[in-house]
Amino acid sequence: MTSTPDLIDSLVADAQPVRRLRPPAVRALGWLLFAALVLVLVAVGHGVRPDIMLKLRQPVFFAGVLAALTTGVLAAMASFIASVPGQSRRWLLLPAPALAVWISTIGYGGLTGWVSIGPEGISLGENARCFATLAITGIPLSLAMLIMLRYVARLSPAPVAMTGSLAVAAMTTAAVSLFHPIDATVLILFWNFGVTALLLVFSGLYGKRLFEWVAR
Amino acid sequence: MRLLPSRAQNSGMPSRIRRPGPTLSLVAEARDPTAPDRGPTAPDTRADGRLDWSLFMARAQAGDRDAYRRLLEAVTPYVRALAARHIGNRSDVEDTVQDILLTLHTVRHTYDPARPFGPWLVSIANRRIIDALRRQGRSSAHEIPAEPEHETLSLPEANLQEAAADARMLREAVERLPAAQRDAIRMLKLEELSLLEASAASGLSVASLKVATHRALKRLREVIGKPGNRT
Repeated sequence: MTSTPDLIDSLVADAQPVRRLRPPAVRALGWLLFAALVLVLVAVGHGVRPDIMLKLRQPVFFAGVLAALTTGVLAAMASFIASVPGQSRRWLLLPAPALAVWISTIGYGGLTGWVSIGPEGISLGENARCFATLAITGIPLSLAMLIMLRYVARLSPAPVAMTGSLAVAAMTTAAVSLFHPIDATVLILFWNFGVTALLLVFSGLYGKRLFEWVAR
Repeated sequence: MRLLPSRAQNSGMPSRIRRPGPTLSLVAEARDPTAPDRGPTAPDTRADGRLDWSLFMARAQAGDRDAYRRLLEAVTPYVRALAARHIGNRSDVEDTVQDILLTLHTVRHTYDPARPFGPWLVSIANRRIIDALRRQGRSSAHEIPAEPEHETLSLPEANLQEAAADARMLREAVERLPAAQRDAIRMLKLEELSLLEASAASGLSVASLKVATHRALKRLREVIGKPGNRT
């Protein structure tokens, strides 16, 4: 076991010039641009849902998508700001209002549309394509977030991982509701809420390990 | 140790965003690490000779090793005081200090010189202190201090020392008996001769041997049975 002066010697010997992090807002903007790029690419490759113009005129659907996108933007900013040491952890609460609106629109839609699923309402194939969209948007966004925030591994990984995955979940579910004609709102409820909950639980449990793995 | 004037203390800022700022490095070196620390405040003045931690960190980020060494040496006592406030064990405190310095080294690119250095350092230190407390909690959950009363075990072999002490005490009590009683006890009880053999060996009558043995046993019982006599 080395003594503290020895440790200081070795740290000084290892002191290469480092490139300072850019301001958190700039980094968040970078991630959001990447997210926008992914969404556009998926939209080009897959095509938006056929009834998109009709749906966007429905206030609940429009508010839901808007709230999801806002949650994604705010959660991304919150994770980038709160990940810097010395910044207040209260930044993590930044996406909370938008998240509340988003959840309430899901809940409202779920309550009003509960009876609308018929036995032939949704095919298995549509669900599988839905899942593909989810993976195609979710995986690159998660990886980008992990790599950009890898320094947080030794700081406070779990809360930052949770807001980060909230950003990813919000973006992917916005993509799913824009690109897939799932009108059975129970399924949308499942997609939105289930994916968010899954990502949050996963990141809460394994966020630390994932960040350590990336930071190695 | 002299009390350092503190501007941040007077300004009524919440303690989390107080800025430790620079400390004269010589004063910091001389400070007793376990002494009650002054809290996360220090003079904010950056006048003659005092280290501007923020400036030195900025230089260290650019690769200035001399600045980096001076910064680490100045920061160490401060961090040690922070750790000592929460962690009792002195060697654990030193481990935590090294842990904090290592983390500072790993994430030194996250410091923005436009922002105060103190909160940056304190939030890194707090993470490692929390880790150390968790480690302490985990290890103390599996350990019990070994105390003297835990050493007597139910197996008779484990208590040989006590038996040896008892035998020594008996021999000493026998030594202190009058000569006739002592000889009688030795021959009849310790060497286990018969009354006739003992009578032949000592020249005493069987009756007087019996009386001497009886008196000796009575006296030994008194001596050993006395509560204050046990060693």
